[in-house]
Amino acid sequence: MTLESYLLVGAALFSLGLIGALSHRNLIALLIGIELMMNAASLNLMAFNRFVVTDPTTGQIFVLIIIGLAAAEVAIFLSIILRIYRAYHDIDAEKLTKLSG
Amino acid sequence: MDTLSLILLTTISPLACFVIAIIFLIQQPRIAQGLVLFGSAVSLLSAIGLLVQGPVEPLRFLWFQSGAIQLQFGFILDGASLMFGVVVAFITACIMLYSVGYMAHDPGKTRYFALLSFFAWSMLSFVYAVDLLQSFIFWELVGLSSFFLIGFWFEKPEAAGAARKAFLMTRVGDVGLFIGILIILQLVSNFDIPALLDPQTGLSTQVSPGILNAITLLIFIGIMGKSAQFPLHTWLPDAMEGPTPVSALLHSATMVAAGVFLMIRLHPLFMAAQDTALIFLSIATFTAILASTIAMVDTDIKKVLAYSSISQLGFMLMALAAGSLFAGVFHLITHAFFKALLFLCSGIYIHAYHTNSMAEIGRNGGRRLKATTLGLLIGGAALSGVPPLAGFWSKEEIFAQLGHNGFNIYMAGAFLAAFLTAYYTFRMIFLITKPDQASASNHSHPEPLNMKAPVLILTLGAIVLGFFGSSIAQGLGLTAQHHSVLLMIPTVGVVILGILIAYFDYGRDNAPRTGFISKIAPLNTLFTNKWYIDEVYRVTIVAITHALSGILHWIENHVLDGNYDRFGLGILRTGAKSTRVQSGWMQLYLGWAIILLAVVVLYLGLR
Repeated sequence: MTLESYLLVGAALFSLGLIGALSHRNLIALLIGIELMMNAASLNLMAFNRFVVTDPTTGQIFVLIIIGLAAAEVAIFLSIILRIYRAYHDIDAEKLTKLSG
Repeated sequence: MDTLSLILLTTISPLACFVIAIIFLIQQPRIAQGLVLFGSAVSLLSAIGLLVQGPVEPLRFLWFQSGAIQLQFGFILDGASLMFGVVVAFITACIMLYSVGYMAHDPGKTRYFALLSFFAWSMLSFVYAVDLLQSFIFWELVGLSSFFLIGFWFEKPEAAGAARKAFLMTRVGDVGLFIGILIILQLVSNFDIPALLDPQTGLSTQVSPGILNAITLLIFIGIMGKSAQFPLHTWLPDAMEGPTPVSALLHSATMVAAGVFLMIRLHPLFMAAQDTALIFLSIATFTAILASTIAMVDTDIKKVLAYSSISQLGFMLMALAAGSLFAGVFHLITHAFFKALLFLCSGIYIHAYHTNSMAEIGRNGGRRLKATTLGLLIGGAALSGVPPLAGFWSKEEIFAQLGHNGFNIYMAGAFLAAFLTAYYTFRMIFLITKPDQASASNHSHPEPLNMKAPVLILTLGAIVLGFFGSSIAQGLGLTAQHHSVLLMIPTVGVVILGILIAYFDYGRDNAPRTGFISKIAPLNTLFTNKWYIDEVYRVTIVAITHALSGILHWIENHVLDGNYDRFGLGILRTGAKSTRVQSGWMQLYLGWAIILLAVVVLYLGLR
């Protein structure tokens, strides 16, 4: 296994996440897309850590913090979605355009 | 009392009255009127006191000093200013007394009397001014106060327009005067009038004749504006829109007299610049004839008197330009009296019959106002130069000076103007006293005493003043010329001829009641239309100014302002367009963010 194969898998994951985040109207699907992109970034970091940087702890600390952040972010995102559903009875992203200029 | 307190009383009391009246007494017109009359009386008495004391050295106070330039404030107390100061104060007092009756029911009475007081202050300070810059300041204040008073009934568009016209036209002349003063400052750094006029060390000894000519010409432009000489005369007839007492003041002792007085003040300077005297003489003579011809055909009593003022001012300037200080001062003083008198009479007629037309006044029974008709007769006769009234002596003096100094063509012009003067004056008198038909309405209320009294006082002045010629000459430090009988014959002759023709045209029973000039149609049209001078101005200067300001307006709107507007509107439009980007659709924002990030990454990666 070389660095390139890891990066390719990471890029594929990121693209899938991006497509999911941009194309789905459902806020939950959007959240899943974002999580996918974040995991792609984590994978890249780990791959670079394995093949480029000699000290293995640096990358692992980064990725652990990202995972922790993602968990916290999901908690906040889900609670926001819950509030939106209470207010609009809907979680369709295209209908939430109250902030237009 | 010493001289200083007298001169301060003379000049400051009208100013004090103006300030107090305009600030505190707007709601109490009767108190304001009394106060202003009192101030005017104080001013008159102190001016007489000064005259009795006789000429003294000028009083000077340093105003400020900058390098070699010293600006002084002070009072010049020689014969000319002492005598004319009394005339100004006296006529102002008469006119204020008259105004009590004339303006009795006007809502703006306090403003009127306060402005009259302001006018008296500016004119008196101008007369006594010792410094040329001080003169100029009060010269402008005289113009400003006439602007206020001509436009006193500013709610009438004609009055507002006339005030504007007077202000602008005199301003044209004032620019010339101001340039002349600045040239003097540039050359000798001195504004002190006695020092400038000193025959040994004055201005005329320090500069070349060419420059002196230029300076006198520029100052004369100012005089032309102020004293309404051709071609800057058209503001004066329009100034008749003001209240009649204001016209009386404007035409006799203030405003137009200021121009003549400046020439009297700077007379040695004008005499030193001999080359320009002929120009001044021609302008003055032409103005005298031009104005008389218009007065021959006008039907409005105030307009006739206005044109007659222009022509008499021409006489005064003629005398001064021909080299006679005495003749100029003499005619200025006598004219002040009989012109004020005539205007006050016309004011009574207008007040009584509510019309300016001479024929209408006659038909309504103008002759029933006995005192007024007496004033009109005496004033008119003095204006025409009927001996032995005031105007005869001063006018004869002018002819004598013109002849004595060899200006024969101009003397002929002056005789023509004097003939026309007699004609139009008696045309006015006959139109009023010998109406063609009596009006059906027989209403006539007698003139009130406070209007009759000034008329009678001035009538007396117009009768006796002519005999004081030699005292006036003495006051100026000159000796009067002896009157030559040879010259009196043509002087009286033209007057009698004028009166006879006026009698033939208007006075006798079943007279044609049209002027002899109407037989010469082109001339009649020319005179009736005031030589088309206003029209010429309208199609030249006014039209050019309008066109120019139109162009500038376009540039203002489309280039200067336009570009700023476009800049602002552009920002507004950009903002309006760019708000569409904020659709509120968060996935779109995310997409944009990703695209931008990709661009940045690609740029950094490819560099």
